[in-house]
Amino acid sequence: MQPFSLSSLIPLLTFLVSFVAASSAAPAADYHEQLNLKPLPQNSLLASFNFRSNTSLPEFEAHNFRFFPRSLGQILQHAGTRELHLRFSLGRWDAETWGARPWDGTKEGGTGVELWAWLEAESDEEADHKWLTLTNALSGLFCASLNFIDSTRTTRPVMSFRPEGDHPNTTMANMHLLHGVLPREVVCTENLTPFLKLLPCKGKAGVSSLLDGHKLFDASWQSMAIDVKPVCPAGEECVLQIEQTIDMVLDIERSKRPRDNPIPRPIPSHELKCNTTKPYHADDTCFPTDSLNAQEWTLNQIFGKSMLGKCPLTDPNVPPVCIQAPHTRDVFTSMDVQEVKEPGNENQRCYLLPSNEEEFHLALPFMPRDGDRPKTDADEFVQPATPLLYAERSLTGHGQEHGGVQAILTNPSPDAEVEFVYMESLPWFMRIYLHTLKARISHRTGSDAGQTLRDDDDVIKEIYYRPFLDRQRGTQLEIRMKIPPGSTVFMAYDFEKTILRYTEYPPDANRGFDVAAAVITILPSNSTGGRAARMSNLRTTGMLLNLPTPDFSMPYNVIIFTSTCIALAFGGLYNILVRRFVGRDEGPEVSLVKLQKRLQEAAQRVKERVQERLGVAGKGAKKVEGKTD
Amino acid sequence: MSADIQNDGDSKPASTEATVSLPATGIAVVERKEPPPEKESDTQRRSWIVLSFWLIAVFIGLPIWWNTTTIYRANLPLTQMTDWADGKACEPVFPLRIALDVGSLPEQEAQNLLRLTQHALDDLNDFSGHHLRLQLAQAPTEATVQARDDSNVALTIRLAPGDAAHTASSSLHPHLPILDVQYPPNSLPTANSPSSGLATYIATQLGATFAEEQNIISYLLETSSITPEHRPKGISQEVVDTVSKRMTRSLKYSQTYHLSFSLFTNGPVPSSWDIEAAIDEYMKPVLDMLRPIHDFTIDTQVQLYASPGVQSQVLGKEDLSSFINAAEWPLSPSIGGAPTVNFIVYIGNQTIGVPSETDAVETSQSWMIPQWGSVYLLAPPAEAAHVSSETLKQPILTFTSHLLTLLGTPQSGSLPLRLSTLARIRSADLLLRASSSLGSLARLTLALPSISIPSNVADGVVKTIQHLELACAGLGGAKSLEHARIAEAEAERAFFEKSMVGQLYFPDEHKVAVYLPLLGPIGVPLVMGLLNEIKAWKTRRNQKLKAA
Repeated sequence: MQPFSLSSLIPLLTFLVSFVAASSAAPAADYHEQLNLKPLPQNSLLASFNFRSNTSLPEFEAHNFRFFPRSLGQILQHAGTRELHLRFSLGRWDAETWGARPWDGTKEGGTGVELWAWLEAESDEEADHKWLTLTNALSGLFCASLNFIDSTRTTRPVMSFRPEGDHPNTTMANMHLLHGVLPREVVCTENLTPFLKLLPCKGKAGVSSLLDGHKLFDASWQSMAIDVKPVCPAGEECVLQIEQTIDMVLDIERSKRPRDNPIPRPIPSHELKCNTTKPYHADDTCFPTDSLNAQEWTLNQIFGKSMLGKCPLTDPNVPPVCIQAPHTRDVFTSMDVQEVKEPGNENQRCYLLPSNEEEFHLALPFMPRDGDRPKTDADEFVQPATPLLYAERSLTGHGQEHGGVQAILTNPSPDAEVEFVYMESLPWFMRIYLHTLKARISHRTGSDAGQTLRDDDDVIKEIYYRPFLDRQRGTQLEIRMKIPPGSTVFMAYDFEKTILRYTEYPPDANRGFDVAAAVITILPSNSTGGRAARMSNLRTTGMLLNLPTPDFSMPYNVIIFTSTCIALAFGGLYNILVRRFVGRDEGPEVSLVKLQKRLQEAAQRVKERVQERLGVAGKGAKKVEGKTD
Repeated sequence: MSADIQNDGDSKPASTEATVSLPATGIAVVERKEPPPEKESDTQRRSWIVLSFWLIAVFIGLPIWWNTTTIYRANLPLTQMTDWADGKACEPVFPLRIALDVGSLPEQEAQNLLRLTQHALDDLNDFSGHHLRLQLAQAPTEATVQARDDSNVALTIRLAPGDAAHTASSSLHPHLPILDVQYPPNSLPTANSPSSGLATYIATQLGATFAEEQNIISYLLETSSITPEHRPKGISQEVVDTVSKRMTRSLKYSQTYHLSFSLFTNGPVPSSWDIEAAIDEYMKPVLDMLRPIHDFTIDTQVQLYASPGVQSQVLGKEDLSSFINAAEWPLSPSIGGAPTVNFIVYIGNQTIGVPSETDAVETSQSWMIPQWGSVYLLAPPAEAAHVSSETLKQPILTFTSHLLTLLGTPQSGSLPLRLSTLARIRSADLLLRASSSLGSLARLTLALPSISIPSNVADGVVKTIQHLELACAGLGGAKSLEHARIAEAEAERAFFEKSMVGQLYFPDEHKVAVYLPLLGPIGVPLVMGLLNEIKAWKTRRNQKLKAA
């Protein structure tokens, strides 16, 4: 017995020693990663990955990189960037169904790529120069067309963004905020690979091992975010923090499709869920039910990969995986996994993983909706919180010349008003008429509930407008608004479409031009405590603007057409000036008349010869006849 | 016509009638009449019109067309540029001054020794690119040697009388450019002797010390664009081979290099290292010595879970080139113009199976990647999570020697000598590079008549030539490297001018497509009008002659 226990003790001891060494060399707070899973209504699942690493500022200045990626760090130093925010987004967040956004919307961007940064510079020109350096370098690092963020796509927001980091007051005075969007950029796998390369565990261990381009970019909505900011915790040394976040809403049925056979197939008719209350329901007709299948999935199924243990650089006391589901929801995990429940939060369960590198499994089994103990939707998922504001934006009008934009902003709260800044950065070829900007309001509650829309100048509190300059910069429009409880504001303005130059059209000009999403920053309200204590964000969808498109063979047509005109005018003029006019019978024979004469002569000769032949033949025939007679 | 119809069935040929019937079509019935004689003024006016059209076309149209379609080509000093490229403009000669510190010898004997040694040197040295000039040292103390570091004295020979029984011996000072020579007292030459053993000995020693530098410079001249008649005599093939092997390894010259130290591990540990302390201790001294020639910036990184490009346990020679996993390892070059030198410590259990055959610097744990950097395989340290500075000693020392090789430092001699040689080699190299860039630019200008040459290219060329002249004048001195550097940078900038790289290309078919619709309809009436006018003028002249 004795030797056995000793031998089993030795590896444990070495393990402990190495563990102590590891934790002494790497302070626990240097790297953090977590995956938050949150089942949503209608068979969706929100997965939020969060990775955070710190480096002390002296280490950063000395170019010693450990958890902070060297490639990004060098770019930041070279471009004098004090704070950086980079977003890659795809899809639309369905606020009606999914409720409030993750991270209060602060870690998402508009469709495409969005970048904003605070640069330290003495003057605006220097800031522009550094911005150019930054966009070009990031474009190479993330394989995105960020270098196309030129002056026409760059704005300097005034009311919308605030620095998130702790900056000393001395640098704060010289910091310039620049913001650029590429709404047309298609986010794809080539952007995920460099994103994963920045992580210390590189997708080889820990929650990042679940990330896979096929599933991520197949999601209904996804947003990748990189935030770099200095953080000064009270009483501690300042650190530079890089936070990488990936949020995605997976359609469970869709992501469960096997990877080698991803083509969707029609469901067999006996598996269709039909609404039997419809009068036309029969064997061959089916109206699909609203309530879809109960959720049933495992981590491997929906991500297509399994999670390879945990990243050993993290604090062993911080659980890497959490799930937000009602406590009545059954959740199964692999062995040796310790479940942790936060005391205040009923609906959250977290899982502490053992230190070995075994795969972590998590399964949410099927919960029958009938039988002895029928389960309901309330057991499947936590009812999503209502967002502070609903926003949608669309193009109105028709024709090739004029158009309009309408934004519908709804405050769903029954008792709290909401104050926010609505920011549009529009391309220069959308010439907006600011005087047509109008806000109309409709109340859902109160004395005038349900009445028709009426104009309301009280809604708009403040406007910051920086007009466009042709081919130099776009329109920047920031509007601070306040919407009373339970009301909807319809904000609209008109614009005129520009005809671009021939070379300014993209290759597929008839597709239209993407207009960046409007950024809505909900300001923290101090009156109604609790809900909106922090700044939160919201973005509308992008728009596709159709501009009058020319015929692209135009230059050649123009060349031919003008040449013809000149030739006609010149030839006529020249001939009149130079020719001598004489009577018809006086001039030399015109070559055309000569030709005609010659042709007629030739025709005559041919005719004669034919006639001659015919004549000879006719006589011969008569002779033959005469003989037979 | 009627006759025709009547004759239809008849056999009688109707040829005579047919010619008569032709006028019935009514086109050319008219009898030809001579037009009334034209007035003299009309003829003259027509000539004026034709003439003025042609004048407008030639004197206004053509210049406008020429000005709007011509390509701007700045004037380049082409002959000067080709002169530089062919080596006609500058004789690459390094006058190296060598101080002779004779210690306590009397002036007369010292002068004598100096003269004899110089003779022996001149006999020995048949390479015109190097001129070793001896001179007597003034104040032979170590402090002054250091103080006169920036003067042209490349080496000081310190003579000291040694043991009479032994023959002369010499040794290089490890930290200063000093050659210590111990000579037997009786070997000093007498006043009138035509030769001396000591002088020959010193000359041979000097020749040996500078042999490598001579070889490298000859190699540079050999491979440059300089035409054979302008370069010194050739060197043997094996010397070319060894030198070219070494030179192709070294990085392109740059003022600043980024040194990037990376720790790669296969698994999660170790995740930290004492790199800063290790660099300070083992590499900093060499970097400080290199400062006059190069600047260095240093960054370090730690990368976990890095799998190499080759997984096998024992690495063969062919595996070494694919060991770096370029797709996954974040080894992107540093931002900012300077080149990056990568030093990689890879922690794993792999070993190198091939013993290095030729190069003594390569150990069984490390190898150098030409023009890129170096890799060192380190066994996992005992303390799993942390790599101490002591463990890093061997890797950093290896990296230091690899760095010297990558920078193109010669391999023989003491470190200060090697570095001063490096400065001379680099200035020669830069000079030749800039010259050959000028030559390429000149050839390009001549070869592509349709390429546009903006004025800043001409400015760059002028600047290059100016700095080349300065560099050539002070070759071997401290300033020459600086001038050669500027010249090279300017030449490169002129050659790689952006607006020249993307030259506008109009194929001839396009030109025809654009010009023909315009020039056809206009040119034909103009030319025909002119021809008619000339014809009319000729007939008029003939008539006048006849009349006369």
